[in-house]
Amino acid sequence: MRLETRKLLDRSFTGSGILAIALMAAALIVLLAPMFTRGAGAMFFTATIEHRRLMLERFDRGNRPQLEAEIENARKARAPVYRMLADFEKRLEAGDAAERRQYEKPLQDLKKAIRTLLGPIPGAPCPMLMRDQYGQTRWDRAQVKLSHALYREEWDYSDPTRSGIMRLEPRAADFTGTKLDPIFPYLEQNLNRMLLPRRTVYWQFLTDTSFDSHFFGGIWPEILGTFYLTVGAMLFALPLGLIAAIYLTEYARESRFIEILRTCISTLAGVPSIVFGLFGLAFFINTLKVSSSKSVLAGAMTLALMILPTIIRAAEEAIRAVPATYKEAALSLGAGRWHAVWTIILPAALPGILTGTVISMGRAAGETAPIIFTAAVSVGKPLALWQVFTQPTPALSWNIYNLATEHEAVDEIRHVQYGLVLILVSLVLILNLAAIFMRARISKRLRG
Amino acid sequence: MPSLRLSHRTRLRQRIGAALGSGLLLAVTSLSMLAVFFIFFFIARDALPFFRLQGMREFFTSTHWYPSAGEAEFGALAMFVGSGLVTMGATLVAVPLGIAAAVCLSDVIPFSLRQFVKPVIEMLAAIPSVAYGFFALVVFAPLLQQQGGHLLAVASWILGLPMAVLGIVVLSDVVTDRFQDRSRTAVRMILMALLGGGTLAGLAWVGHALSALKIASGTNALNVSIILGIMALPTVVSVSEDALQAVGRELREGSYALGATRAEMVVKTVLPAAAGGILAAVILGIMRAIGETMVVWMASGNAARIPIPWYNMLDPVRTLTATIAGDMGEADHVTGSARYHVLFAMALCLLVFSFVCNFISEGIVRRARKKAGG
Repeated sequence: MRLETRKLLDRSFTGSGILAIALMAAALIVLLAPMFTRGAGAMFFTATIEHRRLMLERFDRGNRPQLEAEIENARKARAPVYRMLADFEKRLEAGDAAERRQYEKPLQDLKKAIRTLLGPIPGAPCPMLMRDQYGQTRWDRAQVKLSHALYREEWDYSDPTRSGIMRLEPRAADFTGTKLDPIFPYLEQNLNRMLLPRRTVYWQFLTDTSFDSHFFGGIWPEILGTFYLTVGAMLFALPLGLIAAIYLTEYARESRFIEILRTCISTLAGVPSIVFGLFGLAFFINTLKVSSSKSVLAGAMTLALMILPTIIRAAEEAIRAVPATYKEAALSLGAGRWHAVWTIILPAALPGILTGTVISMGRAAGETAPIIFTAAVSVGKPLALWQVFTQPTPALSWNIYNLATEHEAVDEIRHVQYGLVLILVSLVLILNLAAIFMRARISKRLRG
Repeated sequence: MPSLRLSHRTRLRQRIGAALGSGLLLAVTSLSMLAVFFIFFFIARDALPFFRLQGMREFFTSTHWYPSAGEAEFGALAMFVGSGLVTMGATLVAVPLGIAAAVCLSDVIPFSLRQFVKPVIEMLAAIPSVAYGFFALVVFAPLLQQQGGHLLAVASWILGLPMAVLGIVVLSDVVTDRFQDRSRTAVRMILMALLGGGTLAGLAWVGHALSALKIASGTNALNVSIILGIMALPTVVSVSEDALQAVGRELREGSYALGATRAEMVVKTVLPAAAGGILAAVILGIMRAIGETMVVWMASGNAARIPIPWYNMLDPVRTLTATIAGDMGEADHVTGSARYHVLFAMALCLLVFSFVCNFISEGIVRRARKKAGG
């Protein structure tokens, strides 16, 4: 092979390596960008008057007289809509049966669309579900709902070889020549005045409990649940892992038994997370009966088992990184082995141990599969501390899954899902960045 | 004044204390061993009733998965194929990328730059699986469904074109090595033009075929494979980078001294020397992919049938892990039924698989370490 060819191969080899790393960085950015931009939308968004009404009625937030004046303004802007509807209905009742039959279905649909957009129609009985008691609280959703009010979706299945094609039909066509004709341009042109959108910062998203299965409110129960589970898992795993690491580094002599022990630890690290979940169900709940059914305690124990190997390895590494001279000096001053470990080696290894601990915390906070059968429920109140022994809890990770797939109105609450993802991912990333930062400081100190 | 010599009693007490203490530590340490045994025991205890009730044959060979029918059928072959398919796809994504990145980290880029790349890998590893699953379901799946064909076509061009150009140049160089000086350039040009034209036509055809592709559903094996591949990347990169670092400086310097370029040094010396560790990295990556639950549960489509043909990545699939997670909710009420135990049978298969993988990779790493040490 000629030298030029070899050089070319060498360069492209380097290039492919750099390309791989660039792809990795690109993947990270592509992953995080939607989570951060759309996740922020859960807290920073354009809120309608319905949002402010909800805040006022449920939490007593905001300036009451001013808000009431605003609500009154919105009511005035909405009045023509309701008047047109009432007029039309009155006319319909007076008319003949054929006409009534013709307009019954379109009218019902239209009223429903207006109800979802603006909230309950005045005079109607107060609906049971909270999602029906308020109109659209977010301006972006309100615009979607407006288009539902103006157009109805028609599916065209005429071509059997292809999937159906969606077509938007203006509802106005159903009501041409009636009293309702002007309602559509009115809705379209006056949405602003009817809903009074305004930029809002809803930071209470983090501290409010959720209402009506996450249609309104915040994610405090999930945050608290994740906090309990993570801290609980650390409470079990940290002492056990630390002791195991001390034993393996300071006491154990290489023997067959220790070798098997190490294999077991790495096996534990390789067990699929869903298997941990099944084990937690079969052992902690069905056999040990730590609680009668799912509970935070059982979930925390399962998570602890999962992160135990990580903690052992990190702590072992940190202890091994302490220079042998420390220990030798301590022993030569007459300290016992335990004494030397406790007063000299552990403090020196502490930053390293902390780094590993923080990373495992992130892992425990983000893991879903082990808590599906042991601790997680989709909807729940924030737990008090003593309830963790008996009660299941919502958690960030589980609720992301649940709201994104099993919720009855997945599209309506995208912002909540993104908000949950944002909080979980930033929590985990902050923990990891803290670990990276600590590690950098340790290595600087070790280098002198 | 206390004497320096300890009394007999104190020494005895100290010794007993030390023995007790170390025994206690050993006991605590053994807990993780106990945990492994317990996991095997409790999973197997709930899995065996299934095999007793239903036998092995249907479970491993049938694709009829109707656990809630009156005549319940528990054929899990489709799940095994599904798990295998997405794991294979993830491996295809993670292994080439991961090894290239690891080589780049250990032998190409300078130390100062490495400090910026390492956090990227750590962040990729830290992002929770449910967040990956959410991305796959909410962002990636609609994108695949609407723009999938074009996306695949662009990807095939981006990957194919540089590789094709490189291949053509090298091939024509190698072929024309034997020729006389004067005719060499001419022959090379002709060869390159011929090959280049052919390859361009081929790429254009492939791109055209791909962009005409209609993807019925974005939640399919391809989606999951790519996301799982990204999730497995950090494992592959960091473990194989460790293996590459463990190859000594002497080997590298010796290779350079013989006149090798960096690429030749890495490919001919370092990679063979680190082969064991890299294999271990690949195995660990596979384990990560096959044991992953949330991504496959959310974004694989969960259709319990074998794709047609079996390697069709654009069909929805269902994996073992997703079946366990998804069916437990319904099976929970009837603890003790075959429906409940079949999930444990699946878990047992996963457990045994990961145990075997772990054993193999441990063995490889240990042997490599012994070789490096002695």
